[in-house]
Amino acid sequence: MEGVGAGAGFRKELVSRLLHAHFKDDKTKVSGDSLQLMAELLKIFVVEAAVRAVRQAQAEDAILVDVDQLEKVLPQLLLDF
Amino acid sequence: MEEEAEAEEQQRFSYQQRLKAAVHYTVGCLCEEVALDKEMQFSKQTIAAISELTFRQCENFAKDLEMFARHARRTTINTEDVKLLARRSNSLLKYITDKSEEIAQINVERKARKKKKSEDGNHNSRELAEAGVVESEK
Repeated sequence: MEGVGAGAGFRKELVSRLLHAHFKDDKTKVSGDSLQLMAELLKIFVVEAAVRAVRQAQAEDAILVDVDQLEKVLPQLLLDF
Repeated sequence: MEEEAEAEEQQRFSYQQRLKAAVHYTVGCLCEEVALDKEMQFSKQTIAAISELTFRQCENFAKDLEMFARHARRTTINTEDVKLLARRSNSLLKYITDKSEEIAQINVERKARKKKKSEDGNHNSRELAEAGVVESEK
């Protein structure tokens, strides 16, 4: 989205474990492509949270991004996801 | 008996803690990239909060994905299910749809390369085998 390119990201194995930890049915499986796509989705989720919090901090002329700024952007973030 | 149940509970708890730690690490890395890009620092509490948030969001995602697949009478979650997850924001949906095509394309190319390699490999080993036969007959 915004310059955060081929840097950090969620590893497929971690994504798989995270999802499987919450499945109700043991038989549920996840395709490899979906794991990659979910890794992207999670990455965007984190980056959006971070970037929106930064924008809030900038709007408030804050010197760093604190939980107060994050809290303000949380409602819209959760609505978008 | 109770001890077993307690031990199991402990194991489950520490597994969850390890998952959370792994998420926290990745979140930290991503926030670091954003911080560098925007020239703005994050407090440790903020990173921890985003990390907790992400972990909890995964629970929602997992349950939704499972239900989408079941609704389609499948046991395997596929990319259509993931796209459904991204339906609430148009720009998000577009991004995910584009990514899904990109991933599919990369995987198609990778399979094509693997297939070509194994075909070449068979071809070469056949040639070598025939050459070997000719040699020994001499």
